[in-house]
Amino acid sequence: MTARSRPPGWVSAQGHYAGAVSRFVAYALDLAASTALFTLGLAATAFAVQTITGHPVSWSKSDVVIAVIFACWQFFYFGYSWAASGKTFGMAILGVRVVRADGSDLDPWRGFLRALVFPLSFLFFGLGFLGILVQREHRALHDLIAGTAVIYAWDARAARLRFLAREAEVGASGVPQDPVGSGHAVELPGQAP
Amino acid sequence: MADPVEVLAQQVAERVVDLIVTALDVNALVARIDLNAALSNIDVNEILTKVDVNAVLDRVDVNSLLDRVDVNPLLDRVDVNPLLDRVDVNRLLDRADVDEVLRRADVAAVLARVDVNNVAARINMDALVEQTDLGAIIARSSGGAASEALDAARSQAVGLDEFVDRWVTRLLRRRHPGPPAPSALAPTALANAQPEP
Repeated sequence: MTARSRPPGWVSAQGHYAGAVSRFVAYALDLAASTALFTLGLAATAFAVQTITGHPVSWSKSDVVIAVIFACWQFFYFGYSWAASGKTFGMAILGVRVVRADGSDLDPWRGFLRALVFPLSFLFFGLGFLGILVQREHRALHDLIAGTAVIYAWDARAARLRFLAREAEVGASGVPQDPVGSGHAVELPGQAP
Repeated sequence: MADPVEVLAQQVAERVVDLIVTALDVNALVARIDLNAALSNIDVNEILTKVDVNAVLDRVDVNSLLDRVDVNPLLDRVDVNPLLDRVDVNRLLDRADVDEVLRRADVAAVLARVDVNNVAARINMDALVEQTDLGAIIARSSGGAASEALDAARSQAVGLDEFVDRWVTRLLRRRHPGPPAPSALAPTALANAQPEP
């Protein structure tokens, strides 16, 4: 059989070190999700307290207690997600996963350790995150400390098949519609262009 | 009862024969015999017609005989190529009962030796989906706006990752890129990265 066109580079990305954009977007999604959940939790708690006591409760962002609870919640959100499955909600969306530095599955304690040292990467204007850009294995400071790495875990070949299938379905109408199969030319590290 | 004189004569005769045999130089006697002349008088074919070859062969332990044969030097002296040139493979195959051969083959053992992942990696999925009804089947079973959006977002993110990585590599003037995947995942990643035929 002959190929009509060369499959785009992301098809072969599964198992490779994840890059900065995927990881940043995943973190942004996680931050939004965890903050939304925390806010919802606070609102639910305020509603419950008000219902029981009859006194209105208001939370202040500058409240130290709230800040501490928020930090604990963040630690739980990321730590539990990494310990349980190696990925958070945002990482699942972007199809990336935390593994040990050698690529094997993450130990639960290492997931919590990663969450514990994660704030260190924010120090000095986020200098610890620079490793994702410049380090050869795209590992940030907290990755190096916890002995972890982040890889692409989504089944790109299945995605490619889904795209081709959809294309075959609409092929008769001649309307190209999917950006996934647009042949976004990307070369992976170590691959010939 | 035997005659005593006859018995005595028998014993004397046996003794005389013993003495003659003892005194006789058999080697010298054999040396004086013209064996070729003697054999030329024998009709070997006539003898062979009287031999029951099947009975002789029945008495031969072929396995024991073969155990004593060193086949390797024998095979070393055989030039197989002219032998094979004389074989009409098509005729041979015409006579072979392939169904019977397959029935006797341990297909499971054969498949156990096949690297299915390698075979699968060599399949041109694009062409397969395009040229068969597989595409329609996949589209009906896995289609959906959510999966479509996820696929698009992920592929765009990977594309941007590579774009950023290329620029960082240029800025840092790296000649050799880092390992594409962790060591434990390298074989899988390499299999994924194999160009399709």
